[in-house]
Amino acid sequence: SFENNSNISMNSDCTQVVVPEEVFFTIAAAGILENLLVLIAVIKNKNLHLPMYFFICSLSVSDILVSLYKTLENILIILCKMGYLTPRGYFETKIDDVIDSLFILSLLGSIFSLLAIAADRYITIFFALQYHNIMTLNRALIILAVIWVVCAGSGIAITIFSHETATVISFTILFPFMLTFILCLYIHMFLLARSHAKKIASLPTSAVPSRVNLKGAITLTIFLGVFLCCWGPFLLHILLVTFCPFNPYCACYMSIFHVNATLILCNGIIDPMIYAFRSPELRSTLKKMFCCTRSDW
Amino acid sequence: MSAHRLISNRTAQQALSNSDYTWEYEYYEYGPVSFEGLKAHKYSIVIGFWVGLAVFVIFMFFVLTLLTKTGAPHQDNTEPSEKRFHVSSFVADFGKPLESDKVFSRQVAEESRSLFHFYINEVEHLDKAKQSHKAPGRDRNAHFQEVARNSGRLEEELNCLTKFNIPNFVNTDQNSSLGEDDLLISEPPIILESKPVIQTSRQILD
Repeated sequence: SFENNSNISMNSDCTQVVVPEEVFFTIAAAGILENLLVLIAVIKNKNLHLPMYFFICSLSVSDILVSLYKTLENILIILCKMGYLTPRGYFETKIDDVIDSLFILSLLGSIFSLLAIAADRYITIFFALQYHNIMTLNRALIILAVIWVVCAGSGIAITIFSHETATVISFTILFPFMLTFILCLYIHMFLLARSHAKKIASLPTSAVPSRVNLKGAITLTIFLGVFLCCWGPFLLHILLVTFCPFNPYCACYMSIFHVNATLILCNGIIDPMIYAFRSPELRSTLKKMFCCTRSDW
Repeated sequence: MSAHRLISNRTAQQALSNSDYTWEYEYYEYGPVSFEGLKAHKYSIVIGFWVGLAVFVIFMFFVLTLLTKTGAPHQDNTEPSEKRFHVSSFVADFGKPLESDKVFSRQVAEESRSLFHFYINEVEHLDKAKQSHKAPGRDRNAHFQEVARNSGRLEEELNCLTKFNIPNFVNTDQNSSLGEDDLLISEPPIILESKPVIQTSRQILD
């Protein structure tokens, strides 16, 4: 019944919401620069050669890859518009495949990096005395290598089998599952903090400022909220494309695809602010770098 | 996008004319869609999704706030503890140059080592009066209690360390060298500290 296309305007009711390409390029460039700064700061400062910072670097790398993907795609679109590329040529579809798998790689890398950061913090708290034995630098590097190899393989596999419904379902289910797992890790950490703070608070002459706990809740809400708001719309888009492409409501949601893609780019800008730049050591490294550059020592 | 190619395969299989479906890269036209007779607003999925997401995030925030409530009955020493809080958060929040960072970290390391020595002395006293079963985390907390009761100075240090011990990712957290140190108690905050200190302290604690 939805194939009746004679008298009904096809897409005039829910036209594509177009985001200007300048906006895309600006946001992507800002994301790449910011994450490059994080990488440079960690590489330059020997004090930051710790597993925790390596996981934050992994998150920055995945954000750089997402921004690169969007930049490449926009360049390809512009080349298509200008007529240098044919829309459905063999070369173009292969390029499209490659950058699609790049996108899936970076998306998976992002969620696995977040998982690694949460697990590292969990081990720091619950296995504090053995932390330096459990999480050595070599092990952290091996974990990162495994994560990225798995993500690369999955990216290629998902791109090849993207027409299967099962692929889409498993890909979309992975994210709530991982997010819930990360949430459980953080909640367990908070429960320990609460029991610890209760014991401290029961001392006769000391008190725990209540705003400490509020800040913890705010921080964790920011972590999850940013991830959900930036990646959620895109995942819903994938689901709707698979299951109800011809439903008018779904089509109206899918018309804001470019806005959803912009949100993913914004995630690349926000992530360094809430993970990397919270570290005073990293901030001071960056300040030193800029001060030295400015005064030309 | 591969998701987009999925639609192109389906529309091709449904034998629609290819002219309905144009450019792969630029536009995401999803074939003929009828917009007649919509009962709800056409952007209802968009609105519903964002409203649901906002409600979920706010709900999560309240759940987390409830989880992290300490339930402290009174806060008599809010003033001095807040001051100490500000002092210790000053170190963590503001980006100090590396040198003074190291200096302060050394001070905190010395404080934590002195706290640690007190802890070791108290262990013998506590062992007699301790319950047999406790999680290692709780053990540390209980030992902190005993130690702090015995010395006023230790209470001050304890308040400083308390802030670090709570996984407060806003202030210090494990992102700073200080935060990581305090959870490990026995280890100095910076790699620059000598290794033997780490090993002897770990042996004593084990």
